[in-house]
Amino acid sequence: MDANVIISLNNVNFYYGQNRALTDITMNFRKNKVTALIGPSGCGKSTLLRLLNRMNDLIDDTRVEGDIIYEGKNIYSPDIDPVEIRKKIGMVFQKPNPFPKTIYNNIAYGPKLTASNTGDINMLVEQTLKQAVLWDEVKDILNQSAMKLSGGQQQRLCIARALAMKPDILLMDEPTSALDPISTAKIEELIEELKKDYTIIIVTHNMQQAARISDETAFFYLGNLIEYNKTEKIFTKPDVKQTEDYITGRFG
Amino acid sequence: MKHAINNQINQMKWRYFRQSAFFGLLRASALIITLALGGIIFYILYNGLSVISWEFISKPPTHSMTKGGIMPAILGTIYLTVGAISIGLPLGVASAIYLTEYAKQGKMIRFIKVGINCLAGVPSVVFGLFGLAFFVILFKFGSSILAGSLTLGFLILPTIIGASEEALKSVPQTFREASLALGVSKWQTIYRIVLPNALPGILTGSILGIGRAAGETAPIMFTAAAYFTAKLPGSIFDEVMALPYHIYVLATAGTNIEATRPIQYGTVLVLVAVVLGINLIAILIRGYMRRHKRW
Repeated sequence: MDANVIISLNNVNFYYGQNRALTDITMNFRKNKVTALIGPSGCGKSTLLRLLNRMNDLIDDTRVEGDIIYEGKNIYSPDIDPVEIRKKIGMVFQKPNPFPKTIYNNIAYGPKLTASNTGDINMLVEQTLKQAVLWDEVKDILNQSAMKLSGGQQQRLCIARALAMKPDILLMDEPTSALDPISTAKIEELIEELKKDYTIIIVTHNMQQAARISDETAFFYLGNLIEYNKTEKIFTKPDVKQTEDYITGRFG
Repeated sequence: MKHAINNQINQMKWRYFRQSAFFGLLRASALIITLALGGIIFYILYNGLSVISWEFISKPPTHSMTKGGIMPAILGTIYLTVGAISIGLPLGVASAIYLTEYAKQGKMIRFIKVGINCLAGVPSVVFGLFGLAFFVILFKFGSSILAGSLTLGFLILPTIIGASEEALKSVPQTFREASLALGVSKWQTIYRIVLPNALPGILTGSILGIGRAAGETAPIMFTAAAYFTAKLPGSIFDEVMALPYHIYVLATAGTNIEATRPIQYGTVLVLVAVVLGINLIAILIRGYMRRHKRW
């Protein structure tokens, strides 16, 4: 496998009960890149994202076929513990979802419980909050409830919380769709900064956002991967007519 | 033009009238409930207050229960209630966690839930007979605090399971997802995130259970309650007197029913006070937890 590929899908099908939500997806995600997944609602892009850290396991009556290879192993093989996968593949959700705990404890929660890397928690909290460009805003109120922060701050806290686990990959499921334009801009800057150290896979409904921040873009439609290429290419001269129709706003 | 405006004003008046009529109805309903409760409490106070004294709550009965106090019964009821809660709460919360967090939703779970609802509908005297057959005779616990607590514990189990389930379900799914996505295990997620947020709701349910456990007569009649014993229980295998049963005994089978009338009212008053007191403690704990939830 290409050394630049961090996670790859081979003929992946996914079913909710009888419904096939993803059809025969084969694709490679590249290391230290931002990959955007775009497509109209219900096209399967969020489903795909949640497959990568086994969050779909939480939904009853679902089924995966095919291989998703990460670190040389199929993450769906029976001897793999989803908990271990989720430590390495973090996730940020559509709506900011901090725990009803203090800012400090939101960050410290994961590392404390998963034990392996309990070095200096104070250092870790400071470091990850700085990484998420939130430190200056919260350094004096670390013991205040995270619920009191603004939506944009909460989302950056959620990013910091995911970073505290020192993941390889960060999955983001429409992380700015609940935020105002200024908060969105901050998160986008942050993503730009984070891709030096992390691989980022982001689902977005906002095509300008995909164009602004991603290196590669995958377009999904009705559970199929229609086109997957460099973002520049997708947004300037896509190979497939459907892709062009979607990004120019003819449907979606 | 003028006619149209008048018409509109009349309509507005009519709507306003209807609204106040309905609100009045709702107020009246609330008032009736409050009055009923107030009436009961007033009646008990009026009849029972005269016998309440330090002697009454600190001394055992004397002269074939026509004089003296009710201290053993007060203690007995507290023992039984605490016992019932320490059996019902862990078991109920554990079942609720299993039902809402672990079990795969399906036929089996529906069946179990129907079972729990049926349990809630079982008359308390049936619980009493079950306790007699199962704990007192089969397990040879005899008529004892242990047997009575177990019986009452099972009696309040459906209440606690129901309230705990609701409380667990009301914890947002996004909290669970956020925790699991960090690579935190399911049990730790439940223990660290779900349970702490559900706890005030669980306690509310338990408060209802406490009231029931303290006030029931039938379940303890055959399993724990003594007609009369001046001796205080030395272990959980001893019989105790209990307030509800004591009231029943005085009012129906006492040596001199008329003469003990004031004592009966006094005992009722104490029972109500004990139940309210236990509730109050639970409410205070719940309030404390809500305030100290660090959100």
